[in-house]
Amino acid sequence: MRLALAVAGVVALAGPVAAHPHVFMETELEVIRDEAGRAVSLRVTWSYDPFFSLVLITERGLDPDADGVLTVDEEAALQGFDMNWEPGFAGDVYAFAGDAAVALSGPRNGLARYEGGRIVSSHVRDLAAPVAGLLVVKNYDPTYYTEYTIRDVAAGGCGVEIVAPDLTEAELALKAALAELPADMDVETGFPEVGAAFAQEVRVTCAAS
Amino acid sequence: MRRVLTLGGIAVALGLALVWALGGFDALGRMAAEAQRAMQAPLAGAVRAVKAGEPAAWAGLLAVCFGYGVVHAAGPGHGKFVIGGYGVARRVPVLRLSVVALAASLAQAAVAVALVYAGALLLGWGRERMVGLAEGTLAVASWGAIGAIGLWLVWRGVRGVLRTGQGHHHGHHHHHHDHGAECGCGHAHGPSAAQVAEATGWRDTLALVGGVAVRPCSGALFLLILTFQMGIGAAGVAGAFAMGLGVAVVTVAVAVLAVWSREGALAGFGEARVWRALPWLEIAGGAVIAAFAAGMMGLV
Repeated sequence: MRLALAVAGVVALAGPVAAHPHVFMETELEVIRDEAGRAVSLRVTWSYDPFFSLVLITERGLDPDADGVLTVDEEAALQGFDMNWEPGFAGDVYAFAGDAAVALSGPRNGLARYEGGRIVSSHVRDLAAPVAGLLVVKNYDPTYYTEYTIRDVAAGGCGVEIVAPDLTEAELALKAALAELPADMDVETGFPEVGAAFAQEVRVTCAAS
Repeated sequence: MRRVLTLGGIAVALGLALVWALGGFDALGRMAAEAQRAMQAPLAGAVRAVKAGEPAAWAGLLAVCFGYGVVHAAGPGHGKFVIGGYGVARRVPVLRLSVVALAASLAQAAVAVALVYAGALLLGWGRERMVGLAEGTLAVASWGAIGAIGLWLVWRGVRGVLRTGQGHHHGHHHHHHDHGAECGCGHAHGPSAAQVAEATGWRDTLALVGGVAVRPCSGALFLLILTFQMGIGAAGVAGAFAMGLGVAVVTVAVAVLAVWSREGALAGFGEARVWRALPWLEIAGGAVIAAFAAGMMGLV
């Protein structure tokens, strides 16, 4: 019994042995709607944390005086820096019509600026099919290397709710996933379900028009 | 006093298990992530201050890096896991395990410095390539080494069980005598304290330090690459080691907690029972380490 306790102590010290985040993003979402009031696109705006912004700016040779302000030419050179997505990168944004996943297009209308020592970068992604009812959006990195925090959602008069993750439920999901690992280990996908469980959830409900 | 301290270990073990069962470490992980996010702006500011040649900028950068190390180590991590697991599974003295934890953290910083300067100066690598190596191949190598340490503990535990099974018939009271001719020949009555110390010696130390250090922290890589590109590389190297010291604060604390809870669990067993229990502890602890490491290798 006591030895079992000691072993439980090891597991406790380990905690959820996941990666800890090294890049921190703040997200603003805008839901773009058609004439019928259905959601058709999402504008995603990411503010990179000050340290990673400095890393990105410096490695591009921009802002050599490190004063946090870019010249017009430097800002032009920054455009599109995070828009060349590798195949398989889902953009860390996931959309659902109710419970059903809705595919998102690749990014378009990328626009980046540097202000107050932070890179602010936005892009638009189109929903594969317009969503008339409940639209759910999540923004997370399945590997948790990058942590996203949703700060603001604009949805032109629709009801918006940002739901914090249920940590107890998320931990149960993590435990279940760890228990299932040998059977269903997938190096490519990791376990996005668990990443999702730890993510905030944006619920947008528009009144039918 | 010593006995009270030892018995307190059982409370430490119980407390850790309880916090875990109630999801407390999850909350701790969230708090650590919050603290990590809060470090990003001061870190950027401290690097800028060094670049601008402001007075006391170096001291500021080292202080921020030290804090960065502490909060990153407080989140989930492989170093804490293997140091803590080893400390429970194996009867290693607290001072030795603490030194191992410190050495592993500093060696991890040294690996980051070596990777960035070899990558930048010799290979012409960019940030993404270096970080990709650290988070990919080196992470797998690290978890592989940690898994091997777990299996090594299991194997030694099994050997220990077989040996104490034998030793039991000889009678425990013999084992202080006539060891001279037998030491090292592999069928002693039961392990003496000296033998245990020998077995947990330099090989284990190297394996633990190597298993942790082979995977550098992304934060240190970012800092080293950034400062190299800004022409203040020396500040970055110093900062990486300050981060390592910050990490060591947490891993040394974990080492102490692990040894303490193990000794608490064993307290009052009587020496003969302790010697019988130790190999089982080694098997159980080693199996947990190996199983987690195998799972993590699949996830990297």
